[in-house]
Amino acid sequence: MRKLVAFLAIMIIFAFLVITAVELRGDDGGFGEPVNTEMDEYFLENSQSHNQVNNIVTAILFDYRGLDTLGEATVLFAAVSGVLTVLRKMKPVKRGGKR
Amino acid sequence: MIYFVLQILVLVGLVMTSLAVILFKDLISAAISLGASSLILSLQFYLLRAPDVAIAEAAVGAALTTAIFIFAIKASQREEGYR
Amino acid sequence: MNWEMSKIVRTVTDIMVVPIIVYGIYLIVHGHLTPGGGFQGGAVIASSTALLIIAYGSFRDHKADLSSIESIGLTLFIILALLGLFLGATMFHNYSAGTGGLFGGTVPQGINPGYINTGGTVPLMNIMVGLEVAAALSLILLMMGKASDSVEVEA
Repeated sequence: MRKLVAFLAIMIIFAFLVITAVELRGDDGGFGEPVNTEMDEYFLENSQSHNQVNNIVTAILFDYRGLDTLGEATVLFAAVSGVLTVLRKMKPVKRGGKR
Repeated sequence: MIYFVLQILVLVGLVMTSLAVILFKDLISAAISLGASSLILSLQFYLLRAPDVAIAEAAVGAALTTAIFIFAIKASQREEGYR
Repeated sequence: MNWEMSKIVRTVTDIMVVPIIVYGIYLIVHGHLTPGGGFQGGAVIASSTALLIIAYGSFRDHKADLSSIESIGLTLFIILALLGLFLGATMFHNYSAGTGGLFGGTVPQGINPGYINTGGTVPLMNIMVGLEVAAALSLILLMMGKASDSVEVEA
């Protein structure tokens, strides 16, 4: 019974999400077509003359949206710092003694 | 037509490997199934014309994550629900 | 490290490591021409490290070297970004595109002809991010492998 209720709840939530995603873009254009395409066309037309780069994905990653790449590199740096902190070489605790 | 059939096959394989990850009791088998699932997902990214994401997914998901999972399983129990 | 896989696995590893590293370097250096870039190439190079660690199980302690490479890569990346602020207009401005010099060639409008000496700061940033990602992921793998070896497993 509990499994049936959980299954029905998950199905209802999933159907709600799918129906919402389809209905929100129902009137103008189809499902999956973006509304605003000005920025895409700007990148496609101008990235070769701005950056002298043929790969537009790289031009966006490292020039137009460079701060995102900086954040990604910082996240990786923080992850390595966390791993080095957790897995550092620990000295064994001395038990007994004076104190 | 070949594109359609290939995409159906890739999606069926993705669902089957993902189910195998859940159903295996042996954790090393589950980790390797997760690597296979990542590889099929990278093929799906390539079919959807995102080769950048496909290369990143194949390298990170199929190689590095599997290696890290195997190291973690080696330091703990191999069977699920052992005690 | 106290495991070592069979001779077949070690031989295949010896054969495959060099092509994997060369492919990673290709992905990094041609990042402004073909699909790929710093992160993808760095991850491919780090996967060769994973192959070596799993197959051989023994390695020297390269923690300080890898940590230094990672820090140097991130620092040079930030310095390149700030050079765009000082020499150009904004942060991450591509100040050396089309000015001649290193990676300063120009690109004709239209289909990709594949000239590698183009792009301004974009290939340099690709190389820096590639160094950083390769060193960081290799370092994570190395520390995890060493930690998994030092844990006592109850049978």
